[in-house]
Amino acid sequence: MASVEFKHIEKIYPGNVHTVKDFNLKINDGEFIVFLGPSGCGKSTTLRMLAGLEDISGGEILINDKVVNDLEPIERDIAMVFQSYALYPHMTVYQNIAFALRLAGLSKAEIEKKVRPVADMLELTPLLDRKPKALSGGQRQRVAMGRAMVRTPEVFLFDEPLSNLDAKLRNSMRTEIKILHKKMKKTTIYVTHDQVEAMTLADRIVILRDGKVEQVGTPSEIYHSPANKFVAGFIGSPAMNFIPIELAKDEGCWFVDISGQKLNLLGDVDDNQTATKATLGIRPCDIHITPDLLTNPLVIKGKVENLELLGSTIQLTSRLGDSQIAIEAPSSHVVNEDEVINFYIDESRLQMFSDQSGLSIYKPKAVLESVTDQ
Amino acid sequence: MFAMRKIRWGKYIFLMLVAGFVLVPMFATVLGGFKSLGELRTNPFGLPDVWEFEYYAQVFADGSIWLLMKNSLIIAFFSVLLTLIIGTMTAFTFSHIKFAGYKYIYNYFLIGMMFPAAAAILPLFLKIRDLGLLDSLSGVVIPQVAFGLGFSILLFRSFFEQLPSELFDAARVDGCSYIKFYWHVILPLSTPILATVGVFVLVASWNNYLLPLLVLNTEQQYPWTLGIMQYRGEYGIEWNRILAYVTVTITPAIVFFLFAQKYIVEGLTGGAVKG
Repeated sequence: MASVEFKHIEKIYPGNVHTVKDFNLKINDGEFIVFLGPSGCGKSTTLRMLAGLEDISGGEILINDKVVNDLEPIERDIAMVFQSYALYPHMTVYQNIAFALRLAGLSKAEIEKKVRPVADMLELTPLLDRKPKALSGGQRQRVAMGRAMVRTPEVFLFDEPLSNLDAKLRNSMRTEIKILHKKMKKTTIYVTHDQVEAMTLADRIVILRDGKVEQVGTPSEIYHSPANKFVAGFIGSPAMNFIPIELAKDEGCWFVDISGQKLNLLGDVDDNQTATKATLGIRPCDIHITPDLLTNPLVIKGKVENLELLGSTIQLTSRLGDSQIAIEAPSSHVVNEDEVINFYIDESRLQMFSDQSGLSIYKPKAVLESVTDQ
Repeated sequence: MFAMRKIRWGKYIFLMLVAGFVLVPMFATVLGGFKSLGELRTNPFGLPDVWEFEYYAQVFADGSIWLLMKNSLIIAFFSVLLTLIIGTMTAFTFSHIKFAGYKYIYNYFLIGMMFPAAAAILPLFLKIRDLGLLDSLSGVVIPQVAFGLGFSILLFRSFFEQLPSELFDAARVDGCSYIKFYWHVILPLSTPILATVGVFVLVASWNNYLLPLLVLNTEQQYPWTLGIMQYRGEYGIEWNRILAYVTVTITPAIVFFLFAQKYIVEGLTGGAVKG
């Protein structure tokens, strides 16, 4: 059992730099948690506080219900993989992996028994006598993982381990990490700024900004039900379209005005929303150029300003009032530039955000129906 | 094209002049021990007309040269050892542990570099006397180490700061204490800078005349720098014997330097640790 809990964790650097603000999170045994956010949001700092490499300014961290604030990294039973691998340059691959065991006082035979299986699992056996400078980036990363795995810790920590690798290698290493997690079933906390890594690896994602938690949820929840405008715009590529709209009620039904075009909303707007101005959010892939497959399409007209073929998809840009929007559609459709066409918005994917708080204030009909069905 | 050739030749000539500046006196020294006094005066830089080996033989004749060299070696060895140990530990502390007031203490060490030993003769003598270290080799070693620490700490710290900080994080996660990290990681990675500092301290110690003169009274404890003064007293101004003696005594330092040369170049060009 290796649960991890953060209770009101704060990190304040000298000069009153408040990097992490009231961070709370409970992680269950065996979960793969990803801390995701832009640079400087405090994700690495929080991870380092868990590892014991940074002092905790406030709050408590518990591993297996035991407070670990004052414990050294070795006493917390954690292992960490660093962004720059941090291999010992003067030691061979074998010695790098075995170093922690050597420090723990194990005999040569015992060390050999533990290092070999790990090396085999990571396909490092032919490289054991090499020094780090004779290895490729991917090989070094595997050595760093081997060094962490050989200690059989309760919690694995990864600090942007794939950032230094090229795109192709990143994909294959990501798959390897996922396979390893399935095999070892250890609690894992992974820090990244890459949303693809987060979406593919995580059981739950923690989105951070400026030291604060914006949302915690499964990849699906984060993607389909973002809690606020920041999360909605951060996740998803191409990024979500944000359109300023006027919100009004007509005979008990909500509708929005987008530069003269009126759309009837089928879902519920948050009761606290009193302002008439808000921001509509819809992902490019949720704006279609045919109504097929949509149960409740909302129709708006727009002129195709630009068209780009990306292979299996085409990306169109259009304009609604002052806002430029992006639309993603299968490339099988024939569309021409400067054509005025109908765009069909998938109502079940519609988002709306308050201009004051940035919070999500709308629940689409399809979501409401699925909730009431349960 | 012609201009390029001219520049290249200019470089060669300049480098040869600089090298000559060092090598010509060295060769003159070595060859001087093979010449008679008269020839030394008339032909100071050329090859000897007649190779006289008796002067080199006389340097080794009464056996005192070995005692002098042994004392120099003991002093140099302990000076280098203590400087490397204390210097690396101090520099490691300054580069990795940011305790309150560390900047002031670090600057205090560096100020020591500005202080010439010659200006401190009297207080140094009094302190060594008070510590009961007069007329002992320790009385030479300890002040030598102290005066050399400023420079050594500066070089060590610059080198240690180039080591990636994540290396220490990884070692801490693996269970390394500060001491273990110093022993298992810092020292093995520091061979270039250890060689550089070691050579500087060795050469300074080997050639040190003032401190042994100040501290030592017994002939049995004299290093070769004091021994030469004895020779001078005996032979008056027999330069050929002196040159022979000097050639013999600087040879160990040169040999050590040649051996450590590769590491020194690495250390001074500050090779960053990769991987």
